[in-house]
Amino acid sequence: MSCCTALSVQEQILQEKTLGKENPNRENHKRLFDILDTFNGMAPIIDVDRARLFTESMKQTEGQPLNLRWAKALMHIAKNIPVYIDDHQLLAGRCGTQGRYGILYPELDGDFMADSLANLANAGGAAPISVSPEAVAIVRDEITPYWKGKTFHEDLSRSLPPESHRLAYNDPHGIKARFIVSENASYRSSQQWVLDYAKVIERGFADIKAEAQAKMNELDPLSPMDTVKKRPFLEAVIITCDAIVLWAHRHAELARAKAESETDPVRKAELLAMAEHCERVPEFPARNFREAVQAQWFAQMFSRLEQRTGTIIGNGRIDQYLYPLYKQDKDAGIITDDDVLELLDCMWVGMAQFTDISLSPGGMATQEGYAHWEAVTIGGQTRDGRDATNELSYLVLKSRQASPMPYPDLAARIHSRSPQRFLWEVAETIKVGQGYPKLFNDEEIIPLHLAKGANLADIMDYTASGCAEIRMPNHDTMTSSSGAINLGASIEMVLRNGRMAKYGDELIGLETGDPCTFATWEDFWQAWCKQMNNLLGVSYVNQYVIHHLRSNHFAGPLSSCLHDLCMASCMDLHTAEKIPGGIDIGFVDLIGFGTLVDSLTAVKKCVYDDKTVKMEDLLKALDADFEGYEVLRLRLSHAPKFGNNDMYADSIGQAVDRFTQEYAHKYSPETGLHIDMRTVSVTANVPHGKEVGALPCGRKAWQPFSDGSSPAHGADLKGPTQSLISNYNTKNWDYHERAARLLNIKFSPKCVEGDEGTEKLVSFIRVFCDLKLWHLQFNVINRETLLAAQADPKTYRNLIVRIAGYSAYFTELSRDLQNDLINRTEQASI
Amino acid sequence: MNDAAEKGIVFNIQAYSVHDGPGIRTIAFLKGCPLKCRWCSNPESQRHAPDICWNDTLCIGCGSCIEICPRGALSRTEQGIVRSRERCDDCGLCVKACPALAMFVYGEEKTVQQVLDDVEKDSLFYARSSGGLTLSGGEAMAQPRFALALLREAKKRRLNRAMETCALCTEEDFLAAASLLDYLFVDVKCLDPDKHREFTGVPNERILSNIRAVREAFPDLKLHIRTPVIPGVNDNAEEIAAIARFAREVGAHQYELLAYHKMGENKYRFLGMEYPMGDVKLDEERFNELKALAADIMAGNA
Repeated sequence: MSCCTALSVQEQILQEKTLGKENPNRENHKRLFDILDTFNGMAPIIDVDRARLFTESMKQTEGQPLNLRWAKALMHIAKNIPVYIDDHQLLAGRCGTQGRYGILYPELDGDFMADSLANLANAGGAAPISVSPEAVAIVRDEITPYWKGKTFHEDLSRSLPPESHRLAYNDPHGIKARFIVSENASYRSSQQWVLDYAKVIERGFADIKAEAQAKMNELDPLSPMDTVKKRPFLEAVIITCDAIVLWAHRHAELARAKAESETDPVRKAELLAMAEHCERVPEFPARNFREAVQAQWFAQMFSRLEQRTGTIIGNGRIDQYLYPLYKQDKDAGIITDDDVLELLDCMWVGMAQFTDISLSPGGMATQEGYAHWEAVTIGGQTRDGRDATNELSYLVLKSRQASPMPYPDLAARIHSRSPQRFLWEVAETIKVGQGYPKLFNDEEIIPLHLAKGANLADIMDYTASGCAEIRMPNHDTMTSSSGAINLGASIEMVLRNGRMAKYGDELIGLETGDPCTFATWEDFWQAWCKQMNNLLGVSYVNQYVIHHLRSNHFAGPLSSCLHDLCMASCMDLHTAEKIPGGIDIGFVDLIGFGTLVDSLTAVKKCVYDDKTVKMEDLLKALDADFEGYEVLRLRLSHAPKFGNNDMYADSIGQAVDRFTQEYAHKYSPETGLHIDMRTVSVTANVPHGKEVGALPCGRKAWQPFSDGSSPAHGADLKGPTQSLISNYNTKNWDYHERAARLLNIKFSPKCVEGDEGTEKLVSFIRVFCDLKLWHLQFNVINRETLLAAQADPKTYRNLIVRIAGYSAYFTELSRDLQNDLINRTEQASI
Repeated sequence: MNDAAEKGIVFNIQAYSVHDGPGIRTIAFLKGCPLKCRWCSNPESQRHAPDICWNDTLCIGCGSCIEICPRGALSRTEQGIVRSRERCDDCGLCVKACPALAMFVYGEEKTVQQVLDDVEKDSLFYARSSGGLTLSGGEAMAQPRFALALLREAKKRRLNRAMETCALCTEEDFLAAASLLDYLFVDVKCLDPDKHREFTGVPNERILSNIRAVREAFPDLKLHIRTPVIPGVNDNAEEIAAIARFAREVGAHQYELLAYHKMGENKYRFLGMEYPMGDVKLDEERFNELKALAADIMAGNA
């Protein structure tokens, strides 16, 4: 590269690696690198133990209350699942075999699991998965036969009204996703979630069990509701508390056994210390920092055994709940910051080994590259509204700066009084170029949730969860997953009178008339409103049906016993009923916002305002995927675009947002849920794009849409500041029915070079905060590096890039998604 | 006098500039330059009037431009679309007709108000980074009435003001501009007057005297002197040391060397011009040595 380009820290390390130099961080993070070497680049192994044991137990408990069955299944797993302690590790506990691995949830996809695994074994692709013939046999013989007819997705497929079903699936059994109004509830047991880890650390499960026991003693034996509802809930809690403690104690035994045969005195001492921790936590309160980390670790690992939480159970506000014992141990001089960094490394590298395995085609397409992002949150404010940044926040940043892995994802909460030092270190971490931390904006999220009805202290204490979403772990009570609406389809159906290029004569949406008969832009806009209303209506029906069906299929005794409101009401977190004191916040995703806005703008500008394109010609060009219509395509693609602070386009974006806000405002209340409008595509902009033919913005058929609430590829030509302001322009500040809006910015490393670059990035982040945008994330990388990695995946195996709310290894993404990333506009400044 | 209505020719307004003054800035590029530097990386900025150009890489060969031209000034040749400067009267119909943005114009007449309305779009970013407006060119002072009106009006709007200039203008205009500035960049290419004339077409006495005059009149103004290091022109220790000593003598708060680059080469092609520098390259090692030398002199060590 010439002297005019700069490299990100990650690119520098990769470049030096090609010259045979070792990663300079290895020296100070030896344990992390040693463990990473044991599984780096390997295909994840499918471990069937959890699925087998879960199924065995469920066979035995037919007819009993679901939460009790779930608790008994957890106990069966805790007793029988193999336990492991990895070489070099300081933390005990994993939920499957050693190396890079994933586990199965037959309650989700047990009916077709055998076929899927057989296919996976032969699939290959960018993200291969290793399945042994023995695993396939166990699933085929022991698991699938039991679950046929009992899984959630089969029930959902039967329960969705026909007009919903045909927009969500391409087959009668509801396995192959049709991304028009899709659902993703059927491939996860719960929407993204975060446990109240402080409770595990400060109280321990013995105390939670005692609380349940006390409540049990107070039950009114004459009350039918106490007997039918509360008693099984409390019994489930007690069994679950016993289960996790038993599981921890099995690790203590193993650690002791290993210590006995260990010849290295240093490792022997480590193993004995681990045994001591596992005997103590999570049963009792942690006494020191090391025990606190072990307690958290057991809770999150056991949660993975309990259920498949969307994007994997979050880590919550780690710099808050670990801080008291960090402070205590530091003051007492029994731990150093290097010890803390080592323990954090042990957590990260443990998370990196676990892979979220999707067996359904929908799940695979929308979360590419072994996606899992068990977000770690730092910064923000305390419950009483003071800046929450502390020494641990900086240690987390430091450890993630040196880490060669995309996992776990890191979220930094930013507010108007975030200290300059914090923003500086955040900017330095962004400059490493591995895509994290993502930024969450308190100045948008807190007031917005107050308007939705949240408690002030609870929302002050929110944690990042999942991709760009947030959670209040003792206040949120809705775990039903969302669906997504294909915005590209919404305009395609206006142009094709309710039909889509891909599906020929099949009537998909409404017949809004031949667009050639629309005399004015207003006619066109009204037709779009009708199509959109129809899609919104379907998505709301789906969400309601999903929410009321899930409680027949999922229970979460672990997640419930860690939730204040569930314990107070003796109700499972996955109930369809209203949990007293809770707030039910859900959302539906809008996929392809920028693509839709650009397409509507091109029609308004070229067909109706400037009259440079005739509707007849536009339709012919779209039919031909612009083949032979290059002049027309160029004319359309040069219309104003979202992302440039140009109100011609942005006012249309604002109208689109307003239209969806009005629908939500009117129809959410009758469902008893907040079904808000989210613009977070994850990787869904790729499969949704594959459903839709050529569009008036000049996008060719089947190409990806714009991602999240970001401008379309190459559309934001006026620089990153204008892109941020456009995002602001398209929000309707008098409504509160919006959910997360994900915004991607790609910077060239040159743009943020040196201390001066860091300073300017900090200012940029301050303005993001001022503009009250929800979320922002960065890729700091040279386009040339991505192209080089595509050509030479071996050398660039460890190249980490930002996708959407998570980072992943570039070479483990499909070609489509790689190209999508390459084409996102790089903001260089001159 | 109504500054807001003053008109000038602007060829670009570039938001999010992070290398041209303090903080996050927007640069307004004014068209026209009294110098003719052989290495110029903005050839589109040299003429005062707008330039109609043709971008071969965007052209789809549809012929819309040829068809619409009322004076028959465009023709299709082996070298692509060629415009006869004699026949063309700059009416711009071809630009409007082109669907591919391959026919385009460098430069547009704008009022001070239009420029500053655009610049103010990023005022939040300036507020957070102590950034603001930077006037550049071409040569910002080649349109002195317009430049001064821009600066006065920007001051009224409380925008932080910087300027990049070669300092070739009347002393009166230069001092008037400096009185309105928060930060001043001046390019000094070489101190030898003959060499300066050879490579830029003009002598440098006025440039150097203007810099001294500004320093005398506004001793507190931040003065940032820069030298583009051009192979075969000034990429030697003698020349750079001389400029660095000059920078130190006039109390520049920063002296910076900029590496020669070829990023303007495409634009020569769009304008139908030869690239005068050919394939010369700046030796990276030598550039680094010169940087160290300049830093030493500024620090008073050499």
